[in-house]
Amino acid sequence: MTPTAILVTMFGGLTLFMLTGLPIAFVLGGLSLLFTVTLWNADAVVILALQIFDTMRSEALLGIPLYILMASILQRSGVIEDLYRAMELWFGRVRGGLAIGTVVICVIMAAMTGVVGAAVTAMGVLALPEMLRRRYDPGLATGTICAAGTLGILIPPSVLTIVYAVTAQISIGKMLIAGIVPGAILAALYIAYILAVSYLKPGKVPAAAVERVPLGAKLRSLRSLVLPALIIVMILGSIFFGVATPTEAAAVGVVGAMIAAALRRRLTIDNLSTAAVETLKATAMILWITIGAKAYVAIFTGLGGADTLMGFIRDLNVHPYMVLAVMMLVLIFLGTVLDEIGIILLTVPVFLPIVRLLGFDEVWFGVLYAITIQMGYISPPFGYTLFYIKGTLPKHLGMDTVYRGIVPFFLLQVLGLLICAAFPGLVTWLPRLMVGG
Amino acid sequence: QDTVSWRMQSLWDGGTTPQKFEERFVKRVAELTGGRFKIELFSAGQILPANQMFDAVRGGAFQMMKTFDGYEAGKIPALAFTSTVPFGFPESDQYEAWFYELGGIDLARQAYGQAGLFYIAPTVYGPEPMHSKFPIRKIADWNGKKGRFVGLASTVMGALGVSVVPLPTGEVYSALDKGLIDFADRGDLTANFEAGLAEVAKHIVMPGVHQPTTATSYVANRAAYEKLSAENKAALAVAAREVSAALRQHILVADGKAIEGYKAKGVEIVSLDPADVQQGRVKAREAWVTATKNEALATKVLDSQVAFMKQLGLLA
Amino acid sequence: MPTAFLLYVRGITAVNRLLFRIAAALMFVVVPVMMYEVIARYAFAAPTTWGMELATLLFGPYFLLGGPYLLHLRGHVNLDLARRAMSPGWNRFFELVNQPVIVAFCAILLYYSWPLAVQAWEFKETSFSAWNPPIWPVKFAVPLAVVLMAAQSIAEFLRVLFRDPTAFEPASHDTPETAA
Ligand code: NA
Ligand code: NA
Repeated sequence: MTPTAILVTMFGGLTLFMLTGLPIAFVLGGLSLLFTVTLWNADAVVILALQIFDTMRSEALLGIPLYILMASILQRSGVIEDLYRAMELWFGRVRGGLAIGTVVICVIMAAMTGVVGAAVTAMGVLALPEMLRRRYDPGLATGTICAAGTLGILIPPSVLTIVYAVTAQISIGKMLIAGIVPGAILAALYIAYILAVSYLKPGKVPAAAVERVPLGAKLRSLRSLVLPALIIVMILGSIFFGVATPTEAAAVGVVGAMIAAALRRRLTIDNLSTAAVETLKATAMILWITIGAKAYVAIFTGLGGADTLMGFIRDLNVHPYMVLAVMMLVLIFLGTVLDEIGIILLTVPVFLPIVRLLGFDEVWFGVLYAITIQMGYISPPFGYTLFYIKGTLPKHLGMDTVYRGIVPFFLLQVLGLLICAAFPGLVTWLPRLMVGG
Repeated sequence: QDTVSWRMQSLWDGGTTPQKFEERFVKRVAELTGGRFKIELFSAGQILPANQMFDAVRGGAFQMMKTFDGYEAGKIPALAFTSTVPFGFPESDQYEAWFYELGGIDLARQAYGQAGLFYIAPTVYGPEPMHSKFPIRKIADWNGKKGRFVGLASTVMGALGVSVVPLPTGEVYSALDKGLIDFADRGDLTANFEAGLAEVAKHIVMPGVHQPTTATSYVANRAAYEKLSAENKAALAVAAREVSAALRQHILVADGKAIEGYKAKGVEIVSLDPADVQQGRVKAREAWVTATKNEALATKVLDSQVAFMKQLGLLA
Repeated sequence: MPTAFLLYVRGITAVNRLLFRIAAALMFVVVPVMMYEVIARYAFAAPTTWGMELATLLFGPYFLLGGPYLLHLRGHVNLDLARRAMSPGWNRFFELVNQPVIVAFCAILLYYSWPLAVQAWEFKETSFSAWNPPIWPVKFAVPLAVVLMAAQSIAEFLRVLFRDPTAFEPASHDTPETAA
């Protein structure tokens, strides 16, 4: 079989099997097995088992259950409810205020963790019920969380950025700092969009409160900020002051959430056990998918499926910006089905020599890279975060809701990508300032 | 004659300098066999993470790997000593001599033989640095400091007073930056420079006594290896020995350039006093013995190395 | 459903539910261990050799053993676009096709992961860290999890085959604590 045929078969097979309604973890895993046995050799199936062993001991992925547990405990402590009520008091007169608040909380989450599944699922647990309860359009709510929840890839700390820097052999520090401004730009775009929808399409967002809330009530509501702020300070502080690694900081966050729940007298065995059950449900769902995805990328590479795409780019003989555009398209395409670390190991060794040859800045390219992988993460039909968020949806909402909601945010990411591509200074300015050279 | 096609994965990331030497290895094997022995090369993580390759080669998913024996020292204790020995041989030539002149290769073959694998040959090269946030002048300086080390080095450094913090490689930069740890082992001088360690740690101990010399190795599935013609087997051995010297010499030059780069960024480079290192080696030896788990082959490997070290005057 | 099948379905679901709850509780081991590590290292400059490693060792069995019961809860996410548009008959058909795919997937993984776990045991594999704990027991979590997953999948297959009216419902009826 030619590499092109393999490429077509692997992606075609994926689409077909997904439509049968088989859980995505088994679609990925089952297809990996099928392709290994038919196109490689049966001995190579051992790779799947070994990928599982590796996933089992990933310290970075351990952050996923910890952040979900934190979110789950907070949700049951009433702290989040209060937080959203305070937001309502302060921003109730701003249409879409809660969605905007959710973007802000996502940015804060992004500064805590670099693991995608953690932030999106945690926000699915925390913010989604509050927004749905207040009659936000489910598509807008899930789109906001999926898009803003993946900002953690850009905003440090970020596992993906570190792997990029190491593979590209450039400064980890510079690369991490470079993500801050683009991350802020994307967040600003999301907020602007939410405001636009709120005022242009009434019905998607609940009407703004008409009455003016007395200042006293507003100020009293600020008390509800104390506990969330305390937890944020515990997590970010422990990372910033070298007290804990980002994964350990997640455990600090769980303890913080438990303290908050205790202060609210909601730290009951019942609440803790429900939180633990919810956490395992979300984590097992994400991690079984991760196993399938890792197997899929291994088989994809081992069979030479990647060679076709990479060779195609290598042989392109067009304007440098066209080459860049094609690279981004390939990344979005790969990003929809492959796990993010796999894509980096696959593409960076091929792309970077070309990027250097064309005279582009590697840090700048790295940021475009991270944005593109974010897009792959949320792009229908396969983007993984779409499935993660679906896991937290109430039963009556299906995948179509998630798909509908994500499209505008995907387009906003395209816009963000174009902005960063057109003005490299936005990306390179901060790292130069902070690290020098 | 039939052509043979193999798949091989290495422990290096794609596009890095050592991976280019693996490309050279593969090319050389093809050259030496008139193109009849083709090896398709993959980099770390493309098929599997480097530390999972062992069972994949055993199972026949791919026929050979470029690996670091220490990954499997938890299964086969002898492999602790065929990759890097903390406070071990200070010169790569000494370490390589142990492999080629003192039966080291045969011992490594026995070790891998237990798992149905065939050890082809090592690639031996020099030291890796320690990066520190505080000045280190002597071993006693790191007493009570928090250091990131892995494998046998974590045991040895622990025995020498370091509070060892096990961290994944990806965390080293940030952990040094934020002061979570005081000093660390990571990769070689050049790779660490590229990763920006000069920005976060202003002192370097080079050579790093935790990893004075290093051997990575070519290992094949034994059944696949035995099916090879004598010509193909010879090609593997020849290409491996060539790459060993070539990579070592490349690193030697690259280290020199990297040191200039570090100095330009205001990083201090320190070498420890050999007498101090000699004393440290005595303590390290106790940890070496523990690492054999009293297993016969591991003990044999260690005894053989210790005997050579005594001859060289490295141990009393 | 014939009694023997009913007993099987109830039995395996109960076993997996129990393992799920035990696994869920592991987080209350992981969190204190990590907190202890952070405090010991930062406040007392005395990091443990075992803290982070113990936490990561528990992580694998945690999510693997959570998988089988999640199948019963219908918590493994799927693409429901086509299925929502289908008649109940077609939905039933695809369910009867999909569960055997899961069983086959698990069977093949068992075939390949069992020898790896056994070999790790034969080598008495340890992690080669400063703590150096045995890690072969953890490797048995993979064959165990796929066996339990296959067993649960067979149970789900039987529920659909014998038209258990709750087969397509998320199983909240027997797990009141998960009815979110
Ligand atoms: Na982040
Ligand atoms: Na090292």
